[in-house]
Amino acid sequence: MKRHTSVPSDAAQLSTLTQFLQEFWSAADLPAAETVSFELALEEIFMNVVMHGSPAGPVPRVEVSLALCDGCLTLIIEDDGPAFDPLSLAAPDVAASLEERRVGGLGVYLVRQMMDAVSYQRLGGRNKLSMTKRVREPTP
Amino acid sequence: MNVRLESIGLTTVVIPEGRLDFGAAADFRAQVERVLAGAGTGPAGVIIDCAGLDYVSSAGLRVFLLASRAAQRAGLAFAMCALKPAVREVFDVSGFSRVIAVTADRAAALTHARQGSA
Repeated sequence: MKRHTSVPSDAAQLSTLTQFLQEFWSAADLPAAETVSFELALEEIFMNVVMHGSPAGPVPRVEVSLALCDGCLTLIIEDDGPAFDPLSLAAPDVAASLEERRVGGLGVYLVRQMMDAVSYQRLGGRNKLSMTKRVREPTP
Repeated sequence: MNVRLESIGLTTVVIPEGRLDFGAAADFRAQVERVLAGAGTGPAGVIIDCAGLDYVSSAGLRVFLLASRAAQRAGLAFAMCALKPAVREVFDVSGFSRVIAVTADRAAALTHARQGSA
């Protein structure tokens, strides 16, 4: 099962993307407990694209696709904005004290921890981030 | 997202309901800051009861971190309680469970608040 959508790189589009994910979840009848990893990945990576998109010039376009294969779900987020590899962000110090805790880089850290595999490519002037996680046992 | 407030003795309970994502974080932060500002003149503690919170992202975690820190600086007790599994998972992975007091239910959070303000 595969689905694809496309939105401008604008924070106001987050709810559209969340709805796209939730509709896929219902249509594929996936376990509710696994939703959070993908909702989080979608929000964190999309908001990164919005924050790092072109300050001047055209608003980048963001392509989002979901593909379910043998119980593994892959979320791909692509955009035509400036080159930016979110996986290059330094991991936050999750053992820091309350006073020392910083939130920078936390979103991407959560995505890396909650997905089985995450990879970044810069291809043909586009950023492409792929995230995969097993969401149910493969059908025998 | 909807936010309700309740007062129990000297403690203010903040009850966020729904999804605390990037879109909801700024308004929620403003509401929590108002509670903390008001708390200086009376209430001795603030509890965030998450029984109705379905989802939190790093934008929401940031609000909890800032609120917890502001409470600590103001000498107020601060605790969070009743996290649903999806919220709990994000708390645990981020390490926030180690720096913010998180209790199973509101009764335990109230006990924590009373001890903290004693």
